[in-house]
Amino acid sequence: MILACWFAASLTAQQQEHWSYQAIPHPVTSPEKVATATPGDWSKSPLDGYVLHAMKARGLAPSPPADLATWLRRVTLDLSGLPPTTDELDAFLKDQQAGSRERVVDRLLASDAYAERWTSWWLDLARYADSQGYEKDSLRRSMWRYRDWVIEAFRSDMPFDQFTILQLAGDLLPAATVEQRLATAFHRQTMTNTEGGTDNEEFRVAAVIDRVDTTMSVWMGSTLGCAQCHDHKYDPFSQKEFFELFAFFDQTEDADRDNDAPTMLAPTLADHAAVKVIELELSEARNELEQHGGVRPTMSPWHMLGPVKGEDFDDARDRKFAPERDGVLLHREQEGQPWRERKDLSDGKVHTWNGSNSAFYLHRTLTSKAVGKAVLSLGSDDAIAVWWNGKQLLHKNVARGAAAAQEMLTVDLVAGDNELLLKVTNGGGIGGFYFQMWGAGEGKLRERIQKLEKDFDQRLGPMVPILRNLPADQRRTTRIHIRGSFLDQGDVVHAATPAVWPAMPKDFTRNRLGLARWLMSPDNPLTARVLSNRIWSELFGQGIVLTLEDFGSQGDKPSHPELLDWLAGQFMGSNWSMRHLLRTIVLSETYSQSSKQNATHRERDPNNQWLSRGPSFRLSAEQLRDQALAVAGLLHVQLGGKSVMPPQPGGIWRQIYSGAKWTDATDKDRFRRALYTVWRRTSPHPAMLMFDAQSREACVLRRRRTNTPLQALVLWNDPQFHEPALELGRRAMAIAGGDAARGITWLWRQCLLREPTPLEAVRLLDLLKDEQSRGLAGADAWGMVASVVICLDEFVTKR
Amino acid sequence: MNHLSQQAIQELCRRRFLGGSALSLGSIAMHQLLQGDDDKVKKPPFAPRAKNVIYMHMEGAPPTLDMFDRKPTLDRFDGEKCPDELMNKERFAFIKGHPKMLGHKHGWIRASNGIEMCELFPHLAQQMSDVTLVRSMFTDQFNHAPAEHLMFAGAPRPGRPSMGSWMSYGLGSENRDLPAFVVMVSGGSLPSAGKALWSSGFLPSLHQGVEFRSAGEPVLYLENPPGYDRARRRRSLDALSDLNRIHEARDGDPETATRIAQAELAFRMQASVPEAVDIQSETQEVHDLYGTTPGKASFANNCLLARRLVERGVRFVQLFDSGWDIHGTSPGDDLMTKFPSQAKRIDRPLAALLIDLRRRGLLDDTLLVWGGEFGRTPMNEARNGSKFFGRDHHPHCFSMLMAGGGVKRGAVIGATDELGHAIVDNPIHVHDLQATILHLCGIDHEKLTYKFQGRPFRLTDVHGKVRKELLA
Repeated sequence: MILACWFAASLTAQQQEHWSYQAIPHPVTSPEKVATATPGDWSKSPLDGYVLHAMKARGLAPSPPADLATWLRRVTLDLSGLPPTTDELDAFLKDQQAGSRERVVDRLLASDAYAERWTSWWLDLARYADSQGYEKDSLRRSMWRYRDWVIEAFRSDMPFDQFTILQLAGDLLPAATVEQRLATAFHRQTMTNTEGGTDNEEFRVAAVIDRVDTTMSVWMGSTLGCAQCHDHKYDPFSQKEFFELFAFFDQTEDADRDNDAPTMLAPTLADHAAVKVIELELSEARNELEQHGGVRPTMSPWHMLGPVKGEDFDDARDRKFAPERDGVLLHREQEGQPWRERKDLSDGKVHTWNGSNSAFYLHRTLTSKAVGKAVLSLGSDDAIAVWWNGKQLLHKNVARGAAAAQEMLTVDLVAGDNELLLKVTNGGGIGGFYFQMWGAGEGKLRERIQKLEKDFDQRLGPMVPILRNLPADQRRTTRIHIRGSFLDQGDVVHAATPAVWPAMPKDFTRNRLGLARWLMSPDNPLTARVLSNRIWSELFGQGIVLTLEDFGSQGDKPSHPELLDWLAGQFMGSNWSMRHLLRTIVLSETYSQSSKQNATHRERDPNNQWLSRGPSFRLSAEQLRDQALAVAGLLHVQLGGKSVMPPQPGGIWRQIYSGAKWTDATDKDRFRRALYTVWRRTSPHPAMLMFDAQSREACVLRRRRTNTPLQALVLWNDPQFHEPALELGRRAMAIAGGDAARGITWLWRQCLLREPTPLEAVRLLDLLKDEQSRGLAGADAWGMVASVVICLDEFVTKR
Repeated sequence: MNHLSQQAIQELCRRRFLGGSALSLGSIAMHQLLQGDDDKVKKPPFAPRAKNVIYMHMEGAPPTLDMFDRKPTLDRFDGEKCPDELMNKERFAFIKGHPKMLGHKHGWIRASNGIEMCELFPHLAQQMSDVTLVRSMFTDQFNHAPAEHLMFAGAPRPGRPSMGSWMSYGLGSENRDLPAFVVMVSGGSLPSAGKALWSSGFLPSLHQGVEFRSAGEPVLYLENPPGYDRARRRRSLDALSDLNRIHEARDGDPETATRIAQAELAFRMQASVPEAVDIQSETQEVHDLYGTTPGKASFANNCLLARRLVERGVRFVQLFDSGWDIHGTSPGDDLMTKFPSQAKRIDRPLAALLIDLRRRGLLDDTLLVWGGEFGRTPMNEARNGSKFFGRDHHPHCFSMLMAGGGVKRGAVIGATDELGHAIVDNPIHVHDLQATILHLCGIDHEKLTYKFQGRPFRLTDVHGKVRKELLA
């Protein structure tokens, strides 16, 4: 009997679905309104009800509410990534009306800083970087356009289902806009290997595998990685199912090309405006050129002969081949080759060709109505010789790449036909030339047009890597890769989702768009849970499921399953509003508790899994830097734009075969928020790494928090912290005037949003006086005191 | 008033320290600092043969065929077309078309253990009686970055912890004031795979390799800002610790105690690191032995520094030396000009390190490993018809050296065919090498695991065998 029971139980356990694959019970269709809670009232929100219930079951009781300043600092850091100002604190303390907390939260959620802070969170999951990864790790100078797309999405509280669909499949929407296609750069954050001699297909496959892994990890909390080589050991995924998911992502054009193709021009609004202005100026300048008097000949198309091969470069350059010896005979073969008409060799552009140690002859006729002068702008790769009406004007021996205006020649036009012959001799590699003719006196105007054209090109916007499907007749056939090897392919598979999860509705297309819609469908039990858990973990320092990255059988079970489901319901039911979810959480009693620890906490809830106190943990690498700049008044507020280079120690970037250089910004870009710092995969900013940022070669599902001596060194000595300390010290000294205690109080409150206790104030005053008595100048002594404050545990920790 | 308050602080701090010591120490242990006291060193699961490792990686893959694996047959076929059977299914990184064989370009000398060795390494040749030569290493990867990832982290793509990080995670540090895993780079550029080669991957960042730099401050952010001398840093740190203790008393977070202890350790490192890297204090005899010039970045300096770090109990010292990618596209990467200049840079210091460790009694406890990420072809690469001699990437066989800490002395393991194209005896995979290195340090490579993304990971992935034939 006992045996039978055990057997039955074990059967059920096996047959029963794993908890996270079960439907979310009672999905909430309209968000439950969180009543304006009276502080201390745990009965207003179901959220608090679940937490309180779990606490009571373990003999725990809630902590009292945190004091107002602590709560304000906590919620401001959490929602905006920046500390509150003392003015904001004063306003909050003065606001005695009911709903003062709601007003703070709404103000924060509406701020640009909120969008920046949560973009920072998303960029880890998106494995965002400003470089290609692998050996050369060349910079992707345009990726910031995607980062700014994310900022804009958070700024407008884009519903998370739309946010998902655009990033995974924006290009597949009917009449997709530039912004919708830009979103697909999410899956172009995969690395590109430009190392010499690598197999592009191998690394294209690696990128597609990364897209499967990232999608499944970020949205489904499921790690299928091991199923690429064999059936999953613990979770119900077969290798075939892995490649069925792979098939969704296998149809895009990208193929590990060095230039990251396909790319798309993605102008910003400012670019749009600028282009319009430049267009106007250009058409004016061109009109002016039309009106310009003087003689302008008409030109025949170019005729070209070559490559005429020499023994070596010198021979090809110096030997007089037939056109030089016998004159140009366009209708006959010379040197065994015909002259070809080349209408494609348009003026004002560099044209290139192949043929090493070879000469190329170019001929054209310029017909002028009258005697006059013209200016020829020439470029060549490599050597060049010029004959004008049979007379040699130039013979130049150089090795170079062709560009505009390498040689400028003024020629005399005769009435009627003028004959121009060029000889361009190439050494190794590709050769080429450039030609442009100006009428005499047009120089200034031409230069202006050239500059405008260049501006115009630059203002077309950056070229951002995007997803684009192959044309229908070039689709790939996806096969299982036996033991994960792309060289050893097995059976053909078609796009499908794993059997253990709810089936994809029939009317969903079997492509990325269908997959994205399936991920966000209300029947999917995982996405809402996984994402709510991630957001919860950002606020509380750990998830309700501790393994944010694994909701499978090897992951942790939720500590508060009903709470997780309720949050997931809130998220879905509010039309996937992040703001709603965050608002719900930060206005709860659970979130508002004091984080102080006593013996009971340490004994019964040491890791705060049962939420018997408020959250308290060290700020992230980004938040630490932003906070230091903010309290010092140095932070330069500017939403979006190109990535920037704040101070970094010399000699960090030494990637092989790479010329990219780090140059410390000396202007306002030195003081931008950390999410704008250039992120190079093989070499992220070292101070960020020391505070647990990762290199983002793959998506970062969870940053582990460490506490190391190197972190102390960063806070003491990195200019990113030392400069704010000096600035804070300078301001504190100015405020002190003759009253040091006044300066200390200001400094303390500026950083920690509370007055120092007498003990704390005296300790800093002692330090200040001691240093001054040792002869340290006022500003330096104050800077030292400020540095102590920004290294304080209380400052680097959210309490 | 002032005096009294000062007293009050001291009293408070003293009480906290005593009263809270159990808590603080407990939390320190829990967070695994850079190991405070000797008793925090984790005992290896079984008796180790080596306490420390110095791993010298020659970035780009040296032509070990021309160094340790003489092939008279290859010389005979120099300039002849490569036999068809060698071209079967072969994927080359750069060779196009049908290549020609390339004989050795330098002479041979007799080493102290009797083997023939390239004449460009006369100093090393005299030390070979203490070295095990493995002629039969092979790998799965034939591009630099993936092969380096495989060599150091057991998988061909970034994201996994490096060997040194595993060692730090498994064994901790023996020095309370220095990191367990130190990296030094010479030869001008970083390795192909970049800093990922000393990343702790998914292990806590505490186990990340700390780069000791040859120029500027030896460890990033080690030096105080201008005007801060050591005494001033001490006074500033005293104030910081006092205030943190007050805060700890009020909020009761054990993490605060850890932060206080870590700041103290940072302060100690500010003295111990410059002391450890100051090679000025070495005698002239030592400088002559290694060929070192203080203040100049070089492989020689890094070898001497490696000895100093091992002496001080640093667990894993990783040296990277670049410039070994001998393709033969120009004199800057060919066998005739570049290779001899590379040899000259490393021959003397490599021999010196062996001599110096031996005479200091450190060789028995220190495992030395020397090698590249793959081998080089017995064919001439001749990229774009280049006139310079060089060899393409070759994953099928290459030589490595091991010495000290529990490996055989003067032995030769494995063999390649008469062209140096394939292994004919005793193939040893990269994962086997890793398993053997861990074994020598007292770690079972199948048991040292870390759970991540739903499954336990280890350095050797699901492969690797300890190769007993390497062990003394």
